[in-house]
Amino acid sequence: MTNYKVTGSVMLLAGFMSTAAQAEVVVEWWDFLGGGDGVRMKQLIEEFNAEHAGEISIQATTLEWGVPFYTKVQTSVAVGEAPDIMTYHASRIPLAVSQNVLSEITADDWATMGLGEGDFASATWDAVTIDSAQYAVPLDTHPIVLYYNKELLSAAGVLTDDGVPMGMDSLEGFTETMRALQSNGVKFPLGSVTADGNFMFRTIYSLVGQQGGELITDGEFLTGDNAEKLANALAVLQDWTNEGLQSTYTDYPATVALFTSGEAAMMINGVWEVPTMTDLNAAGNLFEWGAVELPMIFDQRATYADSHSFAIPAGDMDPETRAATLEVMSWMLKNSLFWATAGHIPAYAPVTATAEYAAMEPNATYSPLTANMIFDPKSPLAGVAGPIFDVMSTYFVPTLNGEMDPTEAVEEIIIELNDM
Amino acid sequence: MLRNTRRETLVALVLIAPFLAIYGLTFVYPTVAMVNLSFTDAPLIGPGQWVGFDNYTRLAGERRFDTAFWNTAYFVALSVIPGTFVAMVIALGVSRLTGRMQALVLALFFLPYILPVSVVYRLWDWTLNFQFGIAMYVFDIWGIERVPIFKTTTWFMPAVAFVTIWWTCGFSILLFLAGLRAIPAEIYEAASLDNTGRWTMFRRITWPLLWPVTALVTTIQLILQLKIFDQVYLFSTGGRPNDNLVLVYYIFQRAFVNNQGGRAAAIAVVLFLIVVIVSVLNFQLMRLAERRK
Repeated sequence: MTNYKVTGSVMLLAGFMSTAAQAEVVVEWWDFLGGGDGVRMKQLIEEFNAEHAGEISIQATTLEWGVPFYTKVQTSVAVGEAPDIMTYHASRIPLAVSQNVLSEITADDWATMGLGEGDFASATWDAVTIDSAQYAVPLDTHPIVLYYNKELLSAAGVLTDDGVPMGMDSLEGFTETMRALQSNGVKFPLGSVTADGNFMFRTIYSLVGQQGGELITDGEFLTGDNAEKLANALAVLQDWTNEGLQSTYTDYPATVALFTSGEAAMMINGVWEVPTMTDLNAAGNLFEWGAVELPMIFDQRATYADSHSFAIPAGDMDPETRAATLEVMSWMLKNSLFWATAGHIPAYAPVTATAEYAAMEPNATYSPLTANMIFDPKSPLAGVAGPIFDVMSTYFVPTLNGEMDPTEAVEEIIIELNDM
Repeated sequence: MLRNTRRETLVALVLIAPFLAIYGLTFVYPTVAMVNLSFTDAPLIGPGQWVGFDNYTRLAGERRFDTAFWNTAYFVALSVIPGTFVAMVIALGVSRLTGRMQALVLALFFLPYILPVSVVYRLWDWTLNFQFGIAMYVFDIWGIERVPIFKTTTWFMPAVAFVTIWWTCGFSILLFLAGLRAIPAEIYEAASLDNTGRWTMFRRITWPLLWPVTALVTTIQLILQLKIFDQVYLFSTGGRPNDNLVLVYYIFQRAFVNNQGGRAAAIAVVLFLIVVIVSVLNFQLMRLAERRK
């Protein structure tokens, strides 16, 4: 008799649970945020889930960044096992669209989310647009910036009263700043990821952009004087190596280590390292530091940026899940002020216009660069971890370390780009 | 006794059917599909248009294929014979030890073999990293200029070959040891009664009797090293990938980076043929050498 009662109440309980589970829409989420920004994203997801308890629940999985992530997305879409939402680099969108991996974000979707073109910087909006259709919702832009050690710069007398490095508006000025650091006993005035050509693409592309150059013109690689502009950019960096102003054959982790240990006074790196510095500094293990827009080495300001955006994989999706997914995207953007603590610049303009954001450091110092951002060329061959990366890397590494002539490197690069 | 051959055939068929089914599904079918794919312009996933031999003919003029082909050949030359030689020398040494000491030394040599490739990469990057590698500090002490080993084309392949031999020779040592133990001790006793020198003993007894094992080790090594990918991929990340290409890496690039399944399949077919031809040649050569002994 008791047994029946127990069974009955268990069944009743199970009945309640299943109705509760039916009402709550589960949104499956994939991201590639493994570093300090991943920790912050997990916090945002928890907040979202708490706020939407009983309605929407995000089930998040973090995967390996780069080729593994994008290959997995492609295969999962092909077999209909894709997630409902995923993070995507804007620079990878042209390739994704040619592979039919992404579902278009329609005008109705934008209206449902309460977002629109006016909420984003034009370069960012353009980065997720292919043939006047949008394929992703930009969460942030993550440019590269110049990190600097205030104590070392101050000791060498190259820190302005505002606490930023001197000589930021010309090649001569910036080189002088580095020389001053060098003669003041700093081992590497600039820590550069010279062992990783993939990474250096960001810096070099910025320098090409500072001369108004572009990589692809009407489907052709490095046409006209663009080749010369790439050679100029490489030559500047090679000169720094030859003068001993930057670290040679340094890979990514080593560069960060050189900077945080004070062996390198400055470092060009992505804003995603901001949490590393903030956390180290808060723990009392780091000097006073700052981050600013890249120096203007050529005639105009330009900084390479990419955007973490949210995309919906192609394939069938029931209306409830899609609505829930749109709600996730909309919520994340509107709450992206916290995301800025990961260093990234929120793409949603109303957030960056707030007083809280303006008070946030170092973000506020480098945020003006949003006006000078350049994104990857729109081609299935471009984008992070794309085919162009490997070609560039192969010739950047020897050139940056003074083993190959910049002009020769550019000739080789053109041959290989056309051989793809 | 009369034999029912039909019945026997039927039983045999039933017995091998599971194997045939699995073999067909996981090997024959994918191989045929790959060859088919190599005649199309298919992307990584999904069908493509028939393009005939285009994917093959364009390989002839391709720089990356050229690099990949010669790098693979270079790597095989650097790793197969030296790797076999090192393993044999170590096995000869280990076989002179006895008891626990032998077990310990053998375990030490075998240890790297059980490490996953990612750990091997980490270990050697930690040792040879240009800025922070411990070997570089040793270089500094000796007054040798630091060398960015994995970032220069001169050192890359030799270094990867060295790491590969260090990593995989444990297995070959085991094979050689088994071979050495199979040589009857009486032969050596007889030889020493005749006052045979050590070198002659090796040349006249050990070397010829160990030959089948040597042939086996070289063949295994040859096939394995032709298919090298992991170490090269890991050590060239961010460095000079297109200068360090090997054939499997190039297949990976074409398929997963460039999204060109058809062209990747063509390279895979070429590699498949190379492996078949080289291993058959190697086997025949080894047999010929054995007969001449």
